[in-house]
Amino acid sequence: MPARFAIAALALLATPACARAPAASPDPQLHFPALTGRVVDQAGLLAPAEEQALAAQAAAVERETRAQYVVATIRSLEGQRIEDYGYRLGRFWGIGRKGVNDGVILLVAPAEGKVRIEVGYGLEKRITDPFAGRVIRERILPALEDGRFGDGIRAGSDAIAGRLRSRATDAAIAKEDHLSV
Amino acid sequence: MNRNRLLTAMIVPVAAISLSGCGVNSIPTAEENAKAKWADVQAAYQRRTNLIPNLVSTVKGSAASEQNILVGVTQARANATHVTVSPDQLTDPQAVQRFAEAQGRLSAAIIPLQRLQENYPTLQSQGNFKTLMDELEGTENRINIAIRDYNGAVQGYNTRIRTFPDVIGAKVFYGAKPMATYQATTPNAEQAPTVSFDTNTSR
Repeated sequence: MPARFAIAALALLATPACARAPAASPDPQLHFPALTGRVVDQAGLLAPAEEQALAAQAAAVERETRAQYVVATIRSLEGQRIEDYGYRLGRFWGIGRKGVNDGVILLVAPAEGKVRIEVGYGLEKRITDPFAGRVIRERILPALEDGRFGDGIRAGSDAIAGRLRSRATDAAIAKEDHLSV
Repeated sequence: MNRNRLLTAMIVPVAAISLSGCGVNSIPTAEENAKAKWADVQAAYQRRTNLIPNLVSTVKGSAASEQNILVGVTQARANATHVTVSPDQLTDPQAVQRFAEAQGRLSAAIIPLQRLQENYPTLQSQGNFKTLMDELEGTENRINIAIRDYNGAVQGYNTRIRTFPDVIGAKVFYGAKPMATYQATTPNAEQAPTVSFDTNTSR
């Protein structure tokens, strides 16, 4: 009898009901565009030739540095701040190598008039906050405000690609960007 | 007697193996994950803490008359650095809340500092101030993301230790306690720390 009970108990234990509670998802459900290439022009800001040139530049950057760089224009941020939309998009797309997190997205949202350079953790010492701020303020926004979307995105892209290719050490970049932390 | 011992000897490894398939081992994993996410929260706040002395000294150069804003920030920073939460204190909601409140007071003290640029054009033209503002903004953003990730990890862990069958392992093997989520508090300006002018503001 105890033996039979033991077997029953073993059988019960051997088939655990692995009921998983649904993973808690505090993030709002956003409708991200599909990652169709190195340029995702959902907002339709780029001429075909501009798109091709940007894609070629991003491909060259990845060949040389392995960093993954994507240009994205978004029709609507769906009520999110661009900072919140941007990092979620980066995670959704899985830009950058796993564990290295070397992905960058140049994110342009013309409807909201917002631009952001979203940087994976692995590249924060290359594309620093002040560098990104300066590129947006000085290279991208002036052209965008003129309605020259292609020019602004191109200028921003050149700056980002240049920095990704830079052989300067992190310390040299920190000095160049006047980082304090 | 012998038989009972034999049964126990048989059941324990089987229980361990079968439960590990769906969770007992994943409880410490979830716990470690939440603790690692907490370390990210602290690191992001630390980054902000490190930024503030530079910010204060830059503002001092252009807006020296704004002593009480500067002293307020410096004091809030000093207070915030005294409140820490070790990984083992994450099960203590009050410890987590004390940390959040101290950081919230610092957040509130920083707001008038950020607004100074509207009144002091010389600040805006100072490249260093813009650089610091970019870093501050980026850091606040990292803090927000780190908090969301931490809260997500805590919810996952808390759900796991309360859900069958993990709840058995959580109680029997680990004595697991729920962890506290992080509620960022941004107190009103009225609740900002009181200011005294004779305080040494160098740190």
